[in-house]
Amino acid sequence: MNRMNLKRWAGVMAVGVLLFSGIASGEEENTDTAPGRTMARQAVRGERPGITVDHSRIDALKKPFSSGPEITGTCLSCHTEAESQFHQTIHWTWRADDVKGKGGFSLNNFCISANKMTDKGCLSCHPGWNKAVESVNCLVCHGQKEINWEEAFADLKVFAASDDASEKEIAEEIRANIRDAVTNIGLPGRKNCGSCHFYGGGGDGVKHGDLDSSMARPNKALDVHMGEDGQNFTCTRCHTTKRHNIAGRIYTVPAATERKSLVEDDLTAKITCESCHTATPHKKGSKPNDHTDKVACQTCHIPYFARVNPTKMSWDWSKAGKLKDGKPFKSKGPYGKKDYLTVKGEMRWEKNVRPEYFWFNGSIDGVTAKDRVDPGTVVAVSHPVGSQDDPNSRIFPFKVHRGVQPYDKIHKTLLAPLLSGDKGYWKTLDWNSALAVGQSALGLPFSGEFDFVETTYVFPTTHMVAPKNNVVRCSECHVRNDGRMADLAGFYMPGRNQNRWINTIGWVAVLGAAIGVTVHGLGRIFSPKNGRKENG
Amino acid sequence: MFKLHQKPWIFFFTLFLAFLFIGSAVAIEPGNKRKGKYTYRKVYKACFERGAVESPKPSINPDAHTQAEWTEIFTQKDFDAFGCADEWAALPEEDVRDIYAYLHGHASDSPTPAKCK
Repeated sequence: MNRMNLKRWAGVMAVGVLLFSGIASGEEENTDTAPGRTMARQAVRGERPGITVDHSRIDALKKPFSSGPEITGTCLSCHTEAESQFHQTIHWTWRADDVKGKGGFSLNNFCISANKMTDKGCLSCHPGWNKAVESVNCLVCHGQKEINWEEAFADLKVFAASDDASEKEIAEEIRANIRDAVTNIGLPGRKNCGSCHFYGGGGDGVKHGDLDSSMARPNKALDVHMGEDGQNFTCTRCHTTKRHNIAGRIYTVPAATERKSLVEDDLTAKITCESCHTATPHKKGSKPNDHTDKVACQTCHIPYFARVNPTKMSWDWSKAGKLKDGKPFKSKGPYGKKDYLTVKGEMRWEKNVRPEYFWFNGSIDGVTAKDRVDPGTVVAVSHPVGSQDDPNSRIFPFKVHRGVQPYDKIHKTLLAPLLSGDKGYWKTLDWNSALAVGQSALGLPFSGEFDFVETTYVFPTTHMVAPKNNVVRCSECHVRNDGRMADLAGFYMPGRNQNRWINTIGWVAVLGAAIGVTVHGLGRIFSPKNGRKENG
Repeated sequence: MFKLHQKPWIFFFTLFLAFLFIGSAVAIEPGNKRKGKYTYRKVYKACFERGAVESPKPSINPDAHTQAEWTEIFTQKDFDAFGCADEWAALPEEDVRDIYAYLHGHASDSPTPAKCK
């Protein structure tokens, strides 16, 4: 074989190798090799360990209970430390510190305040028995059977004392229901958590845009993690627990203070996306991996919230109190949701809502009933903490609920009316008395002069993670006008921002290169011997 | 002796008393509200167990009607909208009155409107 043939064969083989490697790499790209997904699957592989006690076999739970605290006492006869642990958690205290928390002086722009637990309406979500705050109702979180405890015990008391045979029979029926509920115990399921968190603010989807009753049995299109046809996670799969403290609360401190993955620490909480998916979850060399130091996973992977049920987006208390024919009334608006109630004012609901974006380091701050506000501005009752310069901050999606609520014209503080009960606004429709009673419950002054101020309240959006085909497209952010990041200022973002001089220099460079290539090409075409030197 | 057409107010007063008497005779007396709640549930539980409905939960909540509407429904014994006709037909009068008391007591215009839980 001469030298020429050798070169030819070498060339053919090289092309073959390149082609083969190309096909091979193409096949590789078609397979799911995103390391973040592989890591996450490893983190949750296998069946989740269940509890180690069959409560239906515990005789102590089969006795005829006649009150809730009696049931708790029986739980604590084995789980000796549970109540004292739970009493320290924010689920019980509703306090983040001495001032903040709904059990303290924190406010929102929904039902505004719990008035330091004086507003008994709020206590329907407090995990005690019958709206009392003495004994923990363990079954709110651990009961696997739905039962109205307050009603069951009240009715049992009456029917058990009756001489009527049919009423005695009903009493036995209630006892059987109670026994069934007390012996059906497990780890908290979606319904347990959802019984409060899906209905926060007094109704389905009122508060959170990413948590409503559609998440009780979601499909994968609604949430890739919790979808019953997907990973079918319960809440506690990510919201792990230590001594009854449940990971994931966001108040004055972030849900996670360290961005660690299970690769770095196999006992780390699974509360952040990185916990399972790592900080570089996408395929090697993939552009989204370059975003994770500045953009939260949720920003791209939750394009819209309230995708099945509508969520409340605004609430104007200043419109409350109108009467029709001398009587309180309510009216329904889009989605069959109430858009006006005499006792609550005017409200707006939306579905498929595009989040608003802020820098967020995991902490939420806000004004309390003690803080002075500027009524000339829109008051941020809560706002995300973070900045572009903070290495722990990422651009994060939020639901922003807009409100109009009362403030004290003299003291310049937001006011906390009492709403439920005989002295509450819902009964009296008298702002002056409701505000005076509500402020008094907080131990704060009320001048007697009030008006209404515009406010905002934020919720981080972190559930309703969409399948990868429905994530936010690059062009929805990297676009000159009306992009998702249009309101985030102070940094350069390709596609959105431009500098005239940099653009001019760039275009000059492109044009120069084009001219150079053209001149060079033409020179070679028209030069004798095609611009090549003669081989020796 | 007077003639009715000469004293029209006596005629109308007598008519009013007659209506009042007849009305009170047919209007349903409310029974035991607390017991009615369980009887109402029991109807649908039985109906569900024989496969006639998809849920053991009653299909109509107390707050679906006003008190006047519930009175009208139970006075007329118009139970078609409830479904589960066999179970309703088998209910003794006392049970029906208990159910009426429960629904009427938690109607949409009552002090405590309720849904079936």
